[in-house]
Amino acid sequence: MKVDATTRPPAVLSDRTARGILAGAAFRRRTVTLLVYAVLVGASAFFLFPLAWMTGTSLKTIEEVGQPQLKLLPETPQWSNYGELLGESSFWRAYGNSFFTVGLSLLGTVGSIAFVAYAFSRLRWPGRNLVFGLMMGTLMLPVQATLVPQYVMFYELGWLRTFNPITIPGFFAGGAALVFLLRQFMLTLPRDLDEAASIDGANPLQTWWYVILPLSRPAVATITVFLFVAQWNNLIQPLIYLQKAELYTMPIYVAQKNNLQESPLPWQEIMAASVLFVIPVLVVFLLTQRYFIEGISMTGSKG
Amino acid sequence: MDIDTATAARLHNLYWSFATVAFIVVGSLAIGKAASSVAAWRGGSAALQRRAFWGYLFASPWILGFLIFVVGPALASLYYSFTDYRLGRPLEWIGLENYRVLIEGLGAHGRRFTQAMYNSFYYALVGVPLQIVTALGMAMLVSRPMPGIGIFRLIFYLPVILAGGPAILLAWRYMLASNGGFVNISLSSIAQSLPGLDWLYRSFIFVVEAFNAFYSGISRGDPVGAFSYLLPSLIGAAVFGYLLRGEFDSGKRETAARLAEVIAIVLGLTLLVRGLVAERIDPAFWLGCAFVAAISFLLWRRKRLEPRRLGLTFAGTGILGVLLAVRLVMIEDGHFSAILRLLTLSSPIARPGDLDYLEDVFPALLPSSAWIWGTVAVLAAATLIPALEKGQRKTLLGVSTGLLALLALGSLLDGFRYFAAFGAIAETSGSPVFHFALFRQVASTLPGLDRVPLWLQNELWAKPSLVLITMWSAGTGMLIFLAALKGVPSSLYEAAQVDGAGPVQRFFRITLPMISPAMFYNIVIGLIAALQTFEAVYIIQTPRTESSLASAAYFLYERTFRQLEIGQGAAASWILALIIVTLTVFQFRYSRWVHYEG
Repeated sequence: MKVDATTRPPAVLSDRTARGILAGAAFRRRTVTLLVYAVLVGASAFFLFPLAWMTGTSLKTIEEVGQPQLKLLPETPQWSNYGELLGESSFWRAYGNSFFTVGLSLLGTVGSIAFVAYAFSRLRWPGRNLVFGLMMGTLMLPVQATLVPQYVMFYELGWLRTFNPITIPGFFAGGAALVFLLRQFMLTLPRDLDEAASIDGANPLQTWWYVILPLSRPAVATITVFLFVAQWNNLIQPLIYLQKAELYTMPIYVAQKNNLQESPLPWQEIMAASVLFVIPVLVVFLLTQRYFIEGISMTGSKG
Repeated sequence: MDIDTATAARLHNLYWSFATVAFIVVGSLAIGKAASSVAAWRGGSAALQRRAFWGYLFASPWILGFLIFVVGPALASLYYSFTDYRLGRPLEWIGLENYRVLIEGLGAHGRRFTQAMYNSFYYALVGVPLQIVTALGMAMLVSRPMPGIGIFRLIFYLPVILAGGPAILLAWRYMLASNGGFVNISLSSIAQSLPGLDWLYRSFIFVVEAFNAFYSGISRGDPVGAFSYLLPSLIGAAVFGYLLRGEFDSGKRETAARLAEVIAIVLGLTLLVRGLVAERIDPAFWLGCAFVAAISFLLWRRKRLEPRRLGLTFAGTGILGVLLAVRLVMIEDGHFSAILRLLTLSSPIARPGDLDYLEDVFPALLPSSAWIWGTVAVLAAATLIPALEKGQRKTLLGVSTGLLALLALGSLLDGFRYFAAFGAIAETSGSPVFHFALFRQVASTLPGLDRVPLWLQNELWAKPSLVLITMWSAGTGMLIFLAALKGVPSSLYEAAQVDGAGPVQRFFRITLPMISPAMFYNIVIGLIAALQTFEAVYIIQTPRTESSLASAAYFLYERTFRQLEIGQGAAASWILALIIVTLTVFQFRYSRWVHYEG
C-alpha cells in the first residue's frame, strides 16, 4: 500500500495527463490521510474517555454526581475531595503498603530473574536443556493450578495476614516468561565477552556482575516495568492473603470503596482514590512506553 | 513505643526477605556442589565439574522455586482434589467425587461451576473475536508511518496497563450505570438525533437481549448441555464439506488431516472425561472405546504405522482396553440394553435434582456416545493411516462429514425442543425462572422508545458489559498485530496492485494470511485469558449479576478462598489447568501449520 503505482507514470503519457494523474493521486492521498486522522482522533476519545471521566468526576460535588448528566467537567473543581482523602491515615497506609510490597517484590524478582537468565543464556552445563524445558513448561501451567495449594502452604506456615506470600515467591525467579525474555536478550550479546573475562581471571559470578548485567540494562528495564505494572495492579493475591484492613494495598483499598453501603455511592470520593491509584502506573508507563512496545513484540514473535 | 500493625508487618516481611535471600544463597551453593559431585562421580573432567557447579548455582533460585512453589503445590493439589478437604478439618478420600460434581453440574456448587464455564465460553466465543477484530482494526489504523502516529499508538495501548487494576473498572461501572449513566445518556441522545438511528439502536438492544436470553437459557436450564456437541460438529462438518469440494490436492489433504485430528481429540476427550467421572453412563460409550481400540490394534498388526504413531496407538489401545475391562465388570444394565442403545440416535441422561420439574416438558436426551465414538474412529482412521490413497481418504472424510452433520443436527434439535418448552416451563413451575419470562418478552416485540441497555444491572447485559471492557483494552493484541503487519513484504502488495487487486482483495488475500501466526497467537492467548478473567468480574458484579458474570477463575476464588472448600477448589483448578494445557498444546502443534498455510 505504501508504493502507489500511479506515482510513476509510463513515459508514453503526455506531460499534461501525467500531471493530472499525479494531482489526482495526491488529492486522494490527502483525503485518505485526513480521514485516517479523523478516525484516529475519534478512537482516541473512546480509549481515553474513562480516564477523563474518572478525573472529571473526582472533582465534582456529591449533588453533581447524583444527577444524570453528560457533563465531563464540574461546575467548580472540588479539590477538597482529594484533601479529605489525603487526610485519611488509611489511605496513606494503603499507599505505603503498596509501595513497600511492590518495591520489595520488584527487587527480589528482577534480581533473581537476572541471575537465572544468565545460567540459561551464557553458561553451558549438563542438563541445561532439560531444566530450561521444564521452565518453559511452567508457562503452560495456569496460575490457578497452584493457587489453592500455595494458599494451604502459606496457611500452614502461618503467613496469612502478612506480606510474605506476596513478596517472597518472587525471590525465586517468579515469571518464566520474563526469564525467557531476558535470556533471549542475553543470547544476543557477543560470546567473546565471556572468554575475555575468563582470560582475565574472572569467575562466572564476576562476569555476570561486571560484564553481562551492565550490558543487559535495557532488557532488565523492560522486565522491571512489566513487573511494576503487574504488581501495582495485582488484586487477587492481596485479596486472598491480606485479610486485615491495616495491611491492604491500594488495589484492595480502592476496590473496597466499591462495597460501601451508602446510597447514592460517593462516586467523587471513589474516583479521587482511583486517580491517585492510577497516577504512579501512568507516570511509569509514560516514561517507559518504548519498553512495553519492545517487550510485547518480543513475546509475540515467539508464537 | 507503639508500632502500628502495618509497620510491624513490613518489618516482619523484611526479616523474612533476608532469610529468603540467605536460604537461596545456601541452597544454591548446595545444589551447585551437589551437581559438581555428581559430575565427578560420573567421571566428568575437572572442567565439566566446574561448569556443572556454576550452571546449577545460577539456575538454583529457579530450581528451588520450582520445587517449593510449583511441584510441591501441584502434587498436593492433585491429592486434595480427591478429598473433601476443608481448611482446619481432617481430610477424607472421596475419589473422583469432586470431579463428578463439577463436570456433571450436580447440586448447587456443580451448577455454579457449569454456569461459570458457560460464562467463560461466552467470553471466548463472543469476546475474543470482537477483541481480535478491534485489535486488528487498531493495528491497521496505526500501522502506516504518519506524523504523530506514535502518540496514537500510545493512547491505544494505555487502557491495557490500566484495565488490570480496579480503578478504571470502577470508572466503567459508574459510566455504565443504566439510569443516567454516561454511556446510556449519550447513546440515547445520538439515537434520537435521527429517526433511522433510533431503529438501529433498538434493534441492537433487541439482538443483544435475545442472544443473551438464548445463551443464559442454555447455561441455566440444562447444565449437561443440549448443545455440547453442536459447535465442534458444526465447524467440522462445514470445513470438511468445503475442503472436499473440487480437486482434493495435497494441500487440502494436509489441512483436512490436521482438522480431523483436532476434532477427534476434542470429541474424544469430552467423552473420555465424562465417561470417567459419570456414575452411570451409556454403556455404548465403552463399546465405542473398544471399537477404537480394535481398529488401532488391527492397524498395528498390519504394521502400517510408523514408529511414533505405533507407540501412540499402542498406548491408546492399552488405556482403552483397561477402561473397558473395568467398566464391563461394573456394568449394571446388562448387555442387551447396551446393544439396543447402540442402535438409537439418542440416549437419556440424568438431570440434576433441582431441575426435576423440567422432566415432563423436556426429557433430556443426548446423541448416543456410540455415534460420537464412531465419528471419532472414522476421523482417527482418516488421519492416522499413512498408506491411504487419496480417494479412500476422501471417502473417509466424507463419511465423517455426514456423521458430524448428523451430530450437529441432533444437538440443534435438542436445543430447539428445549426452547420450545420454555412457555410450558414458565407456566408449570409457578415461579418461573427469571430468564424464561424475560425471554418471551424479549422475543415478542422490538424494544420500545424508552428502552435502554441495562448493562451491569441485568443478567442479559452483564456479559456484554464485560466484553465491551475487554474490547476497550485490546492494546496488547494490537501491538502483536502491528509487529506482524510490519513483517509483510511490501513487494507482495505492489505485485497484487499491478495485477489489479483492490484494497479489499489485498486485505483478504495478502494481509490476513501473512499475519495468521499473530492471529493464532492472539486467539489462544485470548481464550486462556477468557478462562482466567477475574479482576473485572470481581469489581463489576452485584449480587444479582454475579452468577451470570462469574468466570471459571472467579468460581475457583469463591469456592476456595471464601468458602474454604479446598478439595473442590483443587478439582476445579485441575479441570481448568487441563483445558488451558490442551489449548496451549494445540497452539504449539498447529501454529506452524497456520504459518505455512499463509
